Amino acid sequence: MLEVKHIEKYYGRKNNVTKALDRVSFTVDDGEFIAIMGASGSGKTTLLNCISTIDTISAGDILLDGKSIARLSPQDLAKFRRERLGFVFQDFNLLDTLTLEENIGLALALNHADPQEVQKQVAAVADKLGIGDILEKFPYQVSGGQKQRAACARAMVAGQSLLLADEPTGALDSKASKNLLEILTRLNRDMGATILMVTHDPYSASYASRVLFLKDGRLFNELLRGRRDRSAFYHEILDVLALLGGDVSDVI
Amino acid sequence: MSVTLSKLSLRNAKRQARDYLVYFVTMVLAAGLLYAFNGLVFSPEVEELSARLSNLPGMILAASVAAVLILGWLVSYTTGFMLSRRSRELGTYLLIGLETRQVARLFFLENLAVGGMALVPGILLGNLLFQVLRAILLALFGMPYRFSLAFSLKALGLTLVYFAAIYLFALQKSRRRLGRMKIYDLLYFDKQNEEAVLQTGHRRRWIFSASLALGIIGTGLLMMGKMPFGLLGAVCIILFLFGFFTSFASGVPAWFAKRPARKYQGQSLLIFRNLTAKLATMGVVMAIVSLLFTATLISEGTGMTFSAIFHNRMEKDAAFDLFISTEDETHLDRYLEEIQGNIPVVTAHRYAVRLGESDQVIRYLGEATDYYRCYDADAVIASSDYAALRSMKGWPPVALPQGHYLIHCEDYLADPLEGYQESLSLGGQSLAPAGIQQGRLNQNLRGANGHGFLLVVPDDLALALPVSHTVYAAVTEEPVSQAQFRALCLVREESSAMIHDTLKAKAIEESNAAVWTATTVFPLYYLALILTMAAATILTIQQLSESDRYRRQFQLLRKLGMDRREMGRALGRQFAIYYTMPALPSLLIGVAFLLDLGSMVEPGTLTGPYHPGIITAETMGLFFLIYLIYILMAYTTLKRNVLPEA
Repeated sequence: MLEVKHIEKYYGRKNNVTKALDRVSFTVDDGEFIAIMGASGSGKTTLLNCISTIDTISAGDILLDGKSIARLSPQDLAKFRRERLGFVFQDFNLLDTLTLEENIGLALALNHADPQEVQKQVAAVADKLGIGDILEKFPYQVSGGQKQRAACARAMVAGQSLLLADEPTGALDSKASKNLLEILTRLNRDMGATILMVTHDPYSASYASRVLFLKDGRLFNELLRGRRDRSAFYHEILDVLALLGGDVSDVI
Repeated sequence: MSVTLSKLSLRNAKRQARDYLVYFVTMVLAAGLLYAFNGLVFSPEVEELSARLSNLPGMILAASVAAVLILGWLVSYTTGFMLSRRSRELGTYLLIGLETRQVARLFFLENLAVGGMALVPGILLGNLLFQVLRAILLALFGMPYRFSLAFSLKALGLTLVYFAAIYLFALQKSRRRLGRMKIYDLLYFDKQNEEAVLQTGHRRRWIFSASLALGIIGTGLLMMGKMPFGLLGAVCIILFLFGFFTSFASGVPAWFAKRPARKYQGQSLLIFRNLTAKLATMGVVMAIVSLLFTATLISEGTGMTFSAIFHNRMEKDAAFDLFISTEDETHLDRYLEEIQGNIPVVTAHRYAVRLGESDQVIRYLGEATDYYRCYDADAVIASSDYAALRSMKGWPPVALPQGHYLIHCEDYLADPLEGYQESLSLGGQSLAPAGIQQGRLNQNLRGANGHGFLLVVPDDLALALPVSHTVYAAVTEEPVSQAQFRALCLVREESSAMIHDTLKAKAIEESNAAVWTATTVFPLYYLALILTMAAATILTIQQLSESDRYRRQFQLLRKLGMDRREMGRALGRQFAIYYTMPALPSLLIGVAFLLDLGSMVEPGTLTGPYHPGIITAETMGLFFLIYLIYILMAYTTLKRNVLPEA
C-alpha cells in the first residue's frame, strides 16, 4: 500500500542544516498496524508528517498504491487527505466551537455530502468507538479519552484506509490509553485500517504487528510480532530499546 | 448534521467578535464615525449652506479616505494576527481534506461576517453621532437645532463602499498569506521561535543613538514650520520611531543583563521578562502605533489651535455690527449711500483714527513683547469719538482729565502697558498717562482702531494730527446679511484704488469662523479619533491575546507563594509601562509641535483660555481620555481573566 523510498529531510538553511531523516526506506502492506519508535529528536514525527503530506521531503519518494504523493497537485493532495488519510494528534486537534458529532462529520459536510448520509456515517463510526451517546457534547465537556476517540472517528469516518497517529496516547491516563489502543486494534482488525502510529511508549507499541525503530533519522531496527503474544512482544521491544543506547531513558 | 461553510463561518465570526471584543467595538465605532461624517456630507443643512460650506464635503471625503486607509491597516493587521493565533485550527481544516481556497474562503467569510456585524450597530450609532455633529454645525452657524431621525441612504451607501474597501483590501491580503502558508507552518506555527528584530549589541546601540539624534533633529525641523524643513522633520520622526522601538525593545534584556541587582529587585524580573517577550518581537508595530499617536496629537492639537484662531480672530474683528474704514474719506460717502435704505441702522458713528507725533508706544511694546508694528506712528483717537464708541458698545463712560491721555488696548497688551508710565508729547503739550481700558474694539491689524492699542487724547490735540483712516462703525437692527455685505463689497470693488478699505460685519465674521471651523476642525478631529482608536486597539489586542499565557503564569506564581495583591500590582505596572512606551515619544513630539504652532500665530490671537499651553494640555487630556478607556477596558478584562480567584 505504502512505499517509503530513501527519503531524506533537512531543516534549516545555509550553515545551520539539520538532517531529520536520513535515507529511510520501508514498505507498509494493506491492513498492517505499525508502530514507529525512537528517542526525542530521532525523526519519528517528521517521518509521519512527510507521509501525511503535512511536511515535504527533501529527497526520495513516497508512493501510495504506486503513485508518488510528493508529486500530487494541491487539489489531488486535498482529495488524498480527505479520502485516504486519517490523522490523530497527541492533543486531539478538535475544534472547540463544534460538537463531537460536527467535528467528526465536518470534512464530509463541507464537501457537500448528503446531510442525512453524513449523520448516518458519523453515528456508525461513533458507535464503533463507544462515543455514540456523547455526540452532542462539545470537546470541553468530555474526557481526554473520549476526545481522542472522537479524533479517531474523524480520522476514519470517510472510510479512510490509512490512519496516521502521532503519540495518540501521549495525553491520556493508562486506562484511557488501553481503551484507545484496543479501539485502534479493532479498527485495524475489523475494518481493515492500515495504521502507522508514532509512540515512545513500549506498551502502546506492543499493540502493533510491527515496530520500526528510528535513531538519528535513520531506520535502526525492525521488529515483527508474528505469533507471539503481546506481553512477549512488549519485552522484546524493551530489549531493542536498551540496545538503542544513550537515549533509552527518553523512551522508557 | 448541518455544518456548512457559511454556518461554520458565522459560528467562528461570533466567537471572534467575543474574543476580540475591543477590535469589534472599535469597528462599530469606526462604522459609526464613517456614517456620521458621510451623513454630514449629504445633510440638507450642508446643502443649504453650500455656498459657504462648499469645501466641507471635499475635506470630509479626504479625511474619510485617510480613515479608510488606517482602518484597512487595522483590519489587515488584526486578521493577520488572528490568522497566526488560529493557525492550528486552519491547519486542521487542511488536514481533514479542505482545499486551501476553501479554508481561505472560510476565513474570508467569517471576517466579512464580523465586518457585517459591526456595520449594523455602527450605522445605528452613526445616526446618533450624526445628530451630535448636526447640532454642533447648526450651533456654529447660529441656526436652530431640531432633532429629526433622518436616515440617509446616500450616507449608508458610501459607508458600505468604505467598509467594503477596508475589508476587501485586508482580506485579499490574508487570502494571499493563507495561500502561501503550508499545512506544516499552520499546524506548527505556535512552536516556531519568534526572532528579535535586532540582536547584535553594537548595531543595536548604534541604531538607538542615531534614532535619538534623528528624533531631536526631526522635532526641531518640524517646529520650524516651513515646508521643506517640515517634510524633512516628518521623515526624521518616522525614522526615529522605527529605530528607537526596534533597538530599545531588544536592548532591555542587555541592559538588565549588566545589572543583575536591578533584575532581581521586587517584581522587576517578572515585569521585565513579560514586557521584553512582547516588545522584542513587536518593535515595528510599536513604532507604527507611536507614529499613529503622534499623528493623532498633531491633528487633534492643530484642530484645536485652528478652532481657537478662528474664534479669536472673529471676536477681534466682530466688535461692531458693521465696521468700515478707508484712507480716502470720499469713499465712505459711497458706502453710506449703499447703507441708507438697505441696512437699517440703530446707531452709528463716523470718526477718524489719526497718527501721533511719535511711535513711542509701538517701540516700547516692540521691546517688551513680540508685538510688531502696522503703523508708522502710534494710533490716536479723539476722546469724544472714544466716548461715542463706548456708548455704542454699552460700556460706562470714562473721564479723561485735562492734560492726560489713556490707552485702550486688547487684553493681551494690558499687562505690558500697565508698566508704561511715559508722558505723551502732542502739539507742544505733555500728556500724563491716565490708565488703561480694555475691551473688543476692532483693534486688529491695519484699517482698524489701531493695532492692539489706541491712544485717547483730548479733542483739540487730536484734531491737529494727520488722519490715518476714516471709520464708520454702526449697530444695526438685524445682523448684516450675506447679500447686504456683498453689496458693500461691490462698492469697494468698483474702484481698484479702493483696495485698502476695510469692511467687517459681525454676522459675516461669525459665519466665516464657523465655515473655517467646520471645514478644518471637523475633519481633523475625525481623523484623530480614528487614529487613536486604531492604535489603541492594536495595543489592546496584543495584550489580551496573551490571556492564556498570563493565566498559566499567575497560577504557577501562586503555587510559588505569590500574593494575589502582588500579582495585581505586577500586572498593573506591566500595563503602565506597556501603554506608556508608544505614547511617550508621541507626547514629547506633540507637545513641542503644538507649543511651537501656537507661537507662530500673530501675537494676541491665542491668549487666555486659548493659550497654546492650555490648548496643548486640552489636546493631551482628550487623547489620554480615549486612550485610558482602552487601557481600562484591557486591564479589567485581563485582570478578571488571568488573576486566580482570591
